[in-house]
Amino acid sequence: MRVYPYPRPNGAVTARVTAVRLRGPGDAREQLDAKGCSVVERVVALGMAERHDWQSARLVLTATVPAREIEAKGDWTDIAVVAVLTEGATNARTVARLFPGPQGGKDWTGEIELDRDDHLDRASLAVHVVATVGGVEGRIIGSTDQDQEWMIDLTADAPVRDRELDVSKVSFARGGDRLRSFQGAPWVLDTAGRMPAVRLNSDFEGLVALVESQGSTMKSIMREVLLAQMRSDVWAAVFHTAIGDLEIEDDGTPLFPPDWRGAVLREMLPDIVPGRPEDDALREVHTRRTGEGGWADLQPRIQYAAARRAEIPQALTDAFRDIERLDQETNA
Amino acid sequence: MTLRPEYLPERLALISDIQAAEYISAGLLEGREDVPSIALNKAAETLPDDDGRLRLDRVRDLIDDAMTTFRDERPTAADAWLAPRLHETLRLTRREAAEKGFWTFVALGVAPDYVVWRHLSEPKADDAHGRVARDRFIGPHSKQTFARLWWAAELFRDGPDYQPAVVACGNQDMLNSALRLDVIDHRPTALALVKLMERGTVRTGREVNALTSAVNAAAATLMYDVIAPDVERDGEALRDWIAGAGSALPSPRNHLPEGPEEERASPEGVEKLVDHFAELFADAQVRGRTSGGSD
Repeated sequence: MRVYPYPRPNGAVTARVTAVRLRGPGDAREQLDAKGCSVVERVVALGMAERHDWQSARLVLTATVPAREIEAKGDWTDIAVVAVLTEGATNARTVARLFPGPQGGKDWTGEIELDRDDHLDRASLAVHVVATVGGVEGRIIGSTDQDQEWMIDLTADAPVRDRELDVSKVSFARGGDRLRSFQGAPWVLDTAGRMPAVRLNSDFEGLVALVESQGSTMKSIMREVLLAQMRSDVWAAVFHTAIGDLEIEDDGTPLFPPDWRGAVLREMLPDIVPGRPEDDALREVHTRRTGEGGWADLQPRIQYAAARRAEIPQALTDAFRDIERLDQETNA
Repeated sequence: MTLRPEYLPERLALISDIQAAEYISAGLLEGREDVPSIALNKAAETLPDDDGRLRLDRVRDLIDDAMTTFRDERPTAADAWLAPRLHETLRLTRREAAEKGFWTFVALGVAPDYVVWRHLSEPKADDAHGRVARDRFIGPHSKQTFARLWWAAELFRDGPDYQPAVVACGNQDMLNSALRLDVIDHRPTALALVKLMERGTVRTGREVNALTSAVNAAAATLMYDVIAPDVERDGEALRDWIAGAGSALPSPRNHLPEGPEEERASPEGVEKLVDHFAELFADAQVRGRTSGGSD
């Protein structure tokens, strides 16, 4: 736990997006369908907008702060509650003040504007409580926990946090020099873009039909196992991509990348270097990779973390169970 | 030395990391080879045809002028000249500027000669060649040759006024360390850092680094956005500026261009942060001295 040189309330700060209004050219307006906003996942999916030319989205939100504790202890004055919308990829930062509702300052509400030109992929929305403490103005005395932040997805058409694997099919023989060099391979991974993607080789007979099949039990068993294997490949590949492309501070401290690569590292590191804070874990993995030794020892852990994320054990267990059932049906 | 590309298409394009990797040879990184421009352009992904901002010649002319103007000086001096003019010529949104493939294309397809001229290191004693770091071609926004200039102009300008960006780019330490920090995403903070340089409160690279790290560390417990709120950004001004790109004249060479007509930051807010940061800096200096300068 972090230690602060001034008193902070213990109660949690939470936030909730309650409505989203989009604005387009010529003052066109649209209210985002309530389905575009998930309170459970804390995600807003702006890809659900009916107009595709929207220019800005106004998020209406309510924050709950430990008002009673703040009032009772009396260490804090000039309380302000602010919503902060940021995205690392575009260095965007928008701040809006919230205002206390009628219930004695527990719920604070307000609106924050997201300008589409300022964002690329996913923005996060946090709430901070700020006060004057011991004569110092602008102290942050409480914030939404990192895992309680909201995510505003600019393109998703469903409000979910985990992303589906982007699988597309393409003929490797006719897909340009790079893909041609992979002829004969069933699939290749592309981790260079904004999001990792799997390119299926449509020249590989039977593969596309299998992956797209809804049909027979045998095929669907094989498909699930194959997809789990691909997901595992993707997790391992993006981990390597991310760890190989870190920005390093002058003192040698590696930084978490601002985009999905950072998210991947944060998610996998606890399985790779268990029981260590994320900054330490990142430094450990980085030093091992850059030649201090022990990079090879880490590979099984990376593979383990990738397989876990890809739910390979579950896919295999399900497959065995289905095969068993199939056998019984055949015998009967 | 690496030369300007033999073939220059009419329009700017995108190139993915994977495609680009094939053209970043060891010879290019040592400034001994050129980029095979026709092959590179075949691999590039074209952008919409009707966009007046994507004329390649405008960017190439500007870069030529930068190299001519600073021919007899240290190449670092070109940063402060090129950053605002590149920003004003391209007129990108942040969403567009976040596209890494765009900057990679500018580096490889438009001006690899500039990348080499600007970033080739001095040859070391045991090695006949200097080198350009790979991240000057493909890299994060704080490293890539053109992305860092564009982002510096974007984050340090005060609405239409590029002067603060010129000051920030005039100091390599400010440019290198501040661009990596999230605190400068708050505009009054960025402008206050510039003011402290202009007033001479911080002068040397070491002082600039001490200041930026003190400001960044303090941001863990202080909300500068509440101490000095920025005005609400209005996307309309930027959209108008972008719409005017087709009819815009080439960026002026002898005086500063003007950016989008966005509202400027409140001077009172910036001054408040200037005072605040000056105190933080003084504290950091004292601590640095008592701990033997190890800070």
